[in-house]
Amino acid sequence: MTIRLIGYSASYPTLRVIICLKELGLPYELEPPASYQSLKDEDFIANKHPFGKMPVLFDGDFRITESRAICRYLASKYQGKHNDIILIPKDVHKAGLVDQFISYELSYYDPPLSKLVYQEKFAKKFFNKDPDPEIIKQAHEELAKVLDVYEKLLEGKEYLNGEYSLADLVLCPGTNYVYGAGHSDLWDNRPNVKNWWSRLCNRDANKKSFEEIKSFWENN
Amino acid sequence: MPIKLIGYAQSLPTRRVILTLNELGLSYELEAVTEIHTIKTDDFLANKHAFGKIPVLCDGDFTINESRAICRYLVSKYQKDAKIVLIPDDINKVSLIEQYISYELSYFDPPLTKILLQEVFNKRRGEPIDEAIVKQAREEIEKVLDVYEKILVGKDYLNGEYSLADLFHFPCAHYICTDTQQGDIFDTRPNVKRWLDNLRNRDAYKKTYAE
Repeated sequence: MTIRLIGYSASYPTLRVIICLKELGLPYELEPPASYQSLKDEDFIANKHPFGKMPVLFDGDFRITESRAICRYLASKYQGKHNDIILIPKDVHKAGLVDQFISYELSYYDPPLSKLVYQEKFAKKFFNKDPDPEIIKQAHEELAKVLDVYEKLLEGKEYLNGEYSLADLVLCPGTNYVYGAGHSDLWDNRPNVKNWWSRLCNRDANKKSFEEIKSFWENN
Repeated sequence: MPIKLIGYAQSLPTRRVILTLNELGLSYELEAVTEIHTIKTDDFLANKHAFGKIPVLCDGDFTINESRAICRYLVSKYQKDAKIVLIPDDINKVSLIEQYISYELSYFDPPLTKILLQEVFNKRRGEPIDEAIVKQAREEIEKVLDVYEKILVGKDYLNGEYSLADLFHFPCAHYICTDTQQGDIFDTRPNVKRWLDNLRNRDAYKKTYAE
């Protein structure tokens, strides 16, 4: 039975799961919801996501929500089965550090990044609101300070924990959006960060996923 | 070499780790941080936490930070020697626990943190409480707790059996009850109330909050 992923590929938490599925070599069917409003229908809340959000993944009868939890599930169950990509290392210390870096993404990287994604990509197109220059300026400055820390973290390393892992994957979709929305200097002005982002963009799963998104934005 | 925990016992993330250490029956030394400048030094940033935060755990030569990552590490390494299961073996069960941990991060914590910032931290600093923020945050958490009330129907714990997901929720919820005017949000929902009371009565929790 194929994995079903409910979500819009343009929504970057959904894209996070798409990248994960591609990295692990897993086939899946994407089921876009009828509309954002349909996520709040009684049926969706009862049977898909109790908080009315996407993505939602069904693997046979098993249902799981929340993009990072979905990625952890897919990695635990399938990594190493279709190819040799390991997203969560077996070693307890390495896995602990991957977790720590995933927490950095949640705590420090994503908050300013998600503000920029909303302002630059979604506010006007989907919610008919003009982007707020104050919020953009403040989020850009906050993300710059975070990336100063990442510049040090990546010293002498190709990826956050040395080898590629879920810690790098989780921040790819949002970064792709903001990088392409006039904020590329944040990554390009920092040599370690620039090389790391370039490396991530060259991964097949990211290349394919970012291509799919490009055509979504061009056609909508 | 004993486990060393650098943190502040009353801080919510540090409590999360102490609860886990106590559940696993692990001994540790708490290196109390009382002044914020000590965690912003070049040495601390380079060797303990790149963003200058607590808690940080040192287990022999291994250093790890971010409370939820620390707790998962402790469980992975020491659960097999403990009498308790915080993360089960079954992949599906583990994944649902991770889902509930994500609910805690995404929906449960943020409005409660807004309330704590106003009613505890602003108050402590002698700054006025913004009642509009408290009101909005309260409305937000009420909707979230309505969802938790349904999730907990027929269950004592979020995933049926007690797990790390329940533990993670406790510090923030408990702080709201003990130090703010908003604790009734939990009491008016019977399943949520039963869940928190079950947690409160666990030995490790009694021990953690007595210290």
